[in-house]
Parts: sequence; structure tokens; C-alpha cells
Amino acid sequence: MLTQDAIHAIIFQALSNVNDERGPVERLDIGATTILFGTDAVLDSLSLVSVIVDVEAAVSEISGRDMVLTDDRAMSQEVSPFSDVSSLTAYILLLLSEPVL
Amino acid sequence: MSSTLQYDGKFALVTGSRRGVGRLITEHLLQHGAQVAGFARGEATFEHPKYVHFQVDVSDPASVQKGFAALKRITEVVHIVVNNAAVLTSQYAMIMPPAAAQAMINTNLFGTFMVSREASKMMRKSKWGRIINIGSMAASLEPIGDSVYAACKAGVSTLANVMARELAPLNVTCNTLGVSGIQSDMLAQLPKDKIAAVIAGLPLPRFAEPDDILNVLDFFASDRSSYITAQTVFLGGVN
Repeated sequence: MLTQDAIHAIIFQALSNVNDERGPVERLDIGATTILFGTDAVLDSLSLVSVIVDVEAAVSEISGRDMVLTDDRAMSQEVSPFSDVSSLTAYILLLLSEPVL
Repeated sequence: MSSTLQYDGKFALVTGSRRGVGRLITEHLLQHGAQVAGFARGEATFEHPKYVHFQVDVSDPASVQKGFAALKRITEVVHIVVNNAAVLTSQYAMIMPPAAAQAMINTNLFGTFMVSREASKMMRKSKWGRIINIGSMAASLEPIGDSVYAACKAGVSTLANVMARELAPLNVTCNTLGVSGIQSDMLAQLPKDKIAAVIAGLPLPRFAEPDDILNVLDFFASDRSSYITAQTVFLGGVN
């Protein structure tokens, strides 16, 4: 079972991968409150897609479960899972806590 | 044809690699230095030291994802994807079996989407990619009996065009090669008189030769074509 810290680390790594593509002044401040999506988001759309792809791949590999973060359910959450790092972490923990169908 | 190894160092994925146009393209890429992975439902029909075959049904998303998981065990990068796998049932719409129509949609359109989707995730890392969809003159000529097939082939052009926009920042181009008639198992399913009439109506009224296809493939796949994306090139004067 992945812990909150482990999921944070996965998301931080994905954001770090985005930073690798950016110049020094464009780099993101990475932390639990980093806003991923919305009017104050620090990511452009393609960077957000990159983060999602990296996180899905890493969580799937480590947990051994297919992880889809952008299905209808994610989009219909009261609080978007992509609001910030913490909300994404919480959503992944929720998905992992559910039995495999 | 050039004898230089123009694909040396490149890793290509070809769907429907067992026969027909897919096999032609696969053998061409191998001959010119690429490593090639083939996705097809059946077992490999040939061997080559730089060819690896995966039994993948592109119409099944789970099969595609399993195929990519296996592919990632042998390579971290895919440079070139040729979405060639296709099935054809030609029949008046009123009597087209729904299952046959669904199979065309699943393989020809949805399969192309799924393979492009997964491959572009790999291309994202290397910041270089060429996605080449195999289209058809049917998309333009709209022949009787090919309602679903033609719609799927028009769809793969649109798919390429939209993905071209999405993937442009990653230096990945997406184009469509609109094949005209080539002697193949697929074409052999159709009535000879129907094919003859279609070919006779082309501005260049002959069947496509293998090199006609490979010429455009090489153009789309080349390093020099980094500014060529969201294009459909038809053979034989179809437009």
C-alpha cells in the first residue's frame, strides 16, 4: 500500500520532470500546496498532462493496479483532484483504498 | 531506392505487421536499419534479428496496454509509429452486419487512437516522434459499400490532425498516408470490377506500387520533415 508520503514523492518527481524542461526563472515551487489546475495553476495544459501521465505510470507500477486519474469520476468530484498536490494525493489514496473490481 | 541506413538508431512500431502494407513497411524499415516491433493479432509471419513481434489486438484497449507494457521491457523509446492495422467489410449500409461495422470502428479508428495514445507517452520523453496513420483513398472517394470503412479512414486523418496540434510542442508529427489500391489480401476481398472501376477513375489510373507507399512513408518519417504535420497525402492523384 502506498503511503501519503510515497504518493507525494511520486507527484513531486513528476513536477520535477516538468522543471527539468524549464529555464531557471520558470521553475515551479514544488510542495503539497502547489496548485495544479485552475485559475492560479502553475502548469500549462501540456505540463499538467505530463504530470498526470507520469503519476499514473508510477502509481500503477508501484501498486500493481491500473490507475486512471482522468475518468468521469475524477472530473465529477466536488473538489477537483487536480486542485493541488494534496488533493491529488488524497484522490489517489481513495482509489487505492477501494477493492479491485 | 537509397541503400543508406536512413533508419539506423530508430525504433519503429508497426501495427498489422504480418502481411500486406504493414509487412511491406516493416521490411522496408528493417532493411534500412530500424529496429521494429510489430503488433498483430496473429503470430509473426517472418523473422529478422531486429524485429520483435507482439500478439496484440489493437481493437482491445487492454491488449494494447499489455502490448506497450511488454514493449517497454525492451525499449524506452519509440521514434516512429505506423498505424496500419485495419479490417474491411464492404457492404451496403442497410445490410452491413453491425458486428462487422463495430469491428472496423474498433480496429481502424479506436485501435489507431489507442496505439497513438500510448506511443505518444513514450515519444514525450525523447522529444522526437513520427506518427503515421495509414489512410485510404476511400476517405475521399467515398465508394458505395464502404460507409464505415471510409468514415474510419477519414477519422484517422482527423485524429492525426488533432494529435498533431497536441504533440507539436514535443516535436512529434502526425500525418496520414492515403493509400490507393495496392494488390493485397484486403483488396482481394472486393469485387474485381468494382476495384477496376475505381482505379480507372484515378488521375493516375494504376494500382500503387510498394515504392509509391514507401516514398511517402520515408518523407513523413524523415528528420527533415519536422515541419510537416497534420497532412494527408493521397497516392494516385486522389484528393
